[in-house]
Amino acid sequence: MTALPYFYPGARLFAAPIDLNGAGRYVHWGVVQLSVANLVIIGLMLVVFMAALLLPFPRGRGRR
Amino acid sequence: MSRRPRKTAVPDPAAFPTRSYDLVKEFTIALVVVVLLTVGLAAVFSSPDVKPVTLASWSRADGADFTATAVSELGGTSGTAGYGPPYNHTPGAAQKLGPVGLQSAAGVRIPVDTTNDFVLRPLRDAPEPPAVTAALATWAAAPAARQQAWTRAYSDALAKAGRGAPAKGDYGPVPVLASRLLGLARSGALDGELQAEGRFYQTDYTRPLLFLSDGSYLESLARAEHLGGDQWGMMNETGNFPGQAWLWLYTFWYQIDPFKSSGNADALIWGLMALLSLCLMLAPFIPGVRSVPRWTRVHRLIWRTYYRDQAMERDRRVSGR
Repeated sequence: MTALPYFYPGARLFAAPIDLNGAGRYVHWGVVQLSVANLVIIGLMLVVFMAALLLPFPRGRGRR
Repeated sequence: MSRRPRKTAVPDPAAFPTRSYDLVKEFTIALVVVVLLTVGLAAVFSSPDVKPVTLASWSRADGADFTATAVSELGGTSGTAGYGPPYNHTPGAAQKLGPVGLQSAAGVRIPVDTTNDFVLRPLRDAPEPPAVTAALATWAAAPAARQQAWTRAYSDALAKAGRGAPAKGDYGPVPVLASRLLGLARSGALDGELQAEGRFYQTDYTRPLLFLSDGSYLESLARAEHLGGDQWGMMNETGNFPGQAWLWLYTFWYQIDPFKSSGNADALIWGLMALLSLCLMLAPFIPGVRSVPRWTRVHRLIWRTYYRDQAMERDRRVSGR
């Protein structure tokens, strides 16, 4: 079985709007070497963590 | 030394206020959110789409590297040939954690004889031209020392020649065998030969992968994608996709001494991570570590409304006296 070539009819229609398959971008800081994608994910995780700490608990109707 | 305060009586759980909680509702909401996120992100970003590297693609792209690797497999001098368990019994090759030989403990579970498994058997199993039949017979008839001398001389000649033709010399049947193996690899037959398991579905890529990893082609591709061990590669993905960021601590140790220059790095880092994981599991019992939440007071930030109400209640009681 052969895979469909990238240029098959309709390929552009089904292609992802954002293509991440290009050359990766990396941040170097001393011994640390991080991909920008991982950095974004770590940043998002920190944002979620801070939101979990700071956002108020929802007050349900059944709360006594 | 001060005496610890006497513990107060445990309150009755039924005395606390309660609130209703719908676990099924929460599970359903979480499932729907995660499904929508997964489908949405996959539609926007797709997934890594790097073509697989095979023996065929390697031999077509870099025939010189393939031939040099094939000769090292034939002579038993490749990385796999000297790896030790689980592939073979190479004295002193196995990694140790102090006196404990972790790599040797499980024994040779996937025996690999690179000379026969990677070179001679595939050549015999494929239809043989007469020159290859004669070369195989010459190889089989020669003593081990002679075979070693041929492969060593041909490896040296290939290294000197670079991508050109090696100088003439006494290489015995090695050039014929290496050239035929290159032809088989380029046709795609070698991938099938090394994967053949005697079953209908061929899913064991151990042998082709070992052969590939003995050459420099696969490593150069991996390094170009920042997937090398000394490039924090364990937590990277190809292209601009996010990788396994949670492996940061595991891969961090490979970047610093003494691990990065140690031949026992895998065993040492495994041992260190096992120790750290044990410390994390036992955090509630380790003096000092178990007090970190009390010092950082993060819980007071999460339950700040409760603590504010408590403070107001206390102030009211004090002012009402």
